[in-house]
Amino acid sequence: MSAHDTHLAQRAHELYGKAAERLDPAVGTRLQAARLRALTAAHAGERRHFGSGARWLIPSGACAAVVLAAVTLWQPMQPPLPAGTAGTAQGSDLDNELPPDAAQTDPVLYQNLDFYGWLASTDQTAGRH
Amino acid sequence: MMESKHAADGDTDGNTVNAAVGALTAAPLEGAVERVSATSLNAFLAQIEHRAFRLAEMQLRQREDAMDAVQDAMLRLAQHYRDKPPEEWAPLFWGILRRRIVDLQRRRKVRSIVVGWLGGGQDGNGDELPVWDPADQGPGPLDQLGDAQAYAAMSVAVRKLPRRQREAFMFRILEGLDVADTARAMHCSQGSVKTHLSRAMQHLRDQLEDWR
Repeated sequence: MSAHDTHLAQRAHELYGKAAERLDPAVGTRLQAARLRALTAAHAGERRHFGSGARWLIPSGACAAVVLAAVTLWQPMQPPLPAGTAGTAQGSDLDNELPPDAAQTDPVLYQNLDFYGWLASTDQTAGRH
Repeated sequence: MMESKHAADGDTDGNTVNAAVGALTAAPLEGAVERVSATSLNAFLAQIEHRAFRLAEMQLRQREDAMDAVQDAMLRLAQHYRDKPPEEWAPLFWGILRRRIVDLQRRRKVRSIVVGWLGGGQDGNGDELPVWDPADQGPGPLDQLGDAQAYAAMSVAVRKLPRRQREAFMFRILEGLDVADTARAMHCSQGSVKTHLSRAMQHLRDQLEDWR
């Protein structure tokens, strides 16, 4: 290692440090003001960013309220179905599609299922003629 | 931040310089700026702003331009990188400042060309005037400093270096960044940093003979 290089690097570093330490106070004050301006501007930018997000909350909330009101008003305007219609239709569908309730049906029906099946098919055939 | 990575420097040319820098960082210099790891951006900027100004001033030779460059670098760091980890602030800041200085130098060059086109580049006898350079109205950089002559000589020698060598010298030797951070600030590889620094030291050895 060259002693000159070491000395040169040390001397340069030292001079630079001293020069920075002994900066003109007026320049130091301007730098301090510039730093505070930079930090303030960054904070202001952050607030603006947050503010722009908050601004969207108002129209979004208004839209949600309008939709809610529309849904609330629209539902009572639907004409009510006649009482019992839905239940009857539902009941007939159930009669056609579901097996009879075992608890309420005569056990003899289950013992003679083949007979009743034959009877039902015979009735349908006779009805067609 | 700067004391740990010198051991990783491997090339022959870089060893001399890195050893020199290692010696610098191992034993704190009297009067050298204390580098404390700052956790808040305000503390980091407060710690670095004077040195940044000196570094910009050395390259731009004009106080107002140096002030603009430092202020712009602080603003950009605060606006765009404040959420980065504090250990990344130094290379980011120096990188921003480096680009800003280059921009100002280019703008100054364009301005001098425009002045030349407009006829302002020649005197009454038709001889070319020197390249336009704004006058520095402020007091000398180190009026209060006993080492003013030495600092001025170093500044002149550093200004004569090619740009990349100058940047490597400033970040590695003056500012004391490690190779990795210097490479990030200069936006180049660590090998390039070592090469530039080696050549810079070679030039400065020749120019600062009387520092022996």
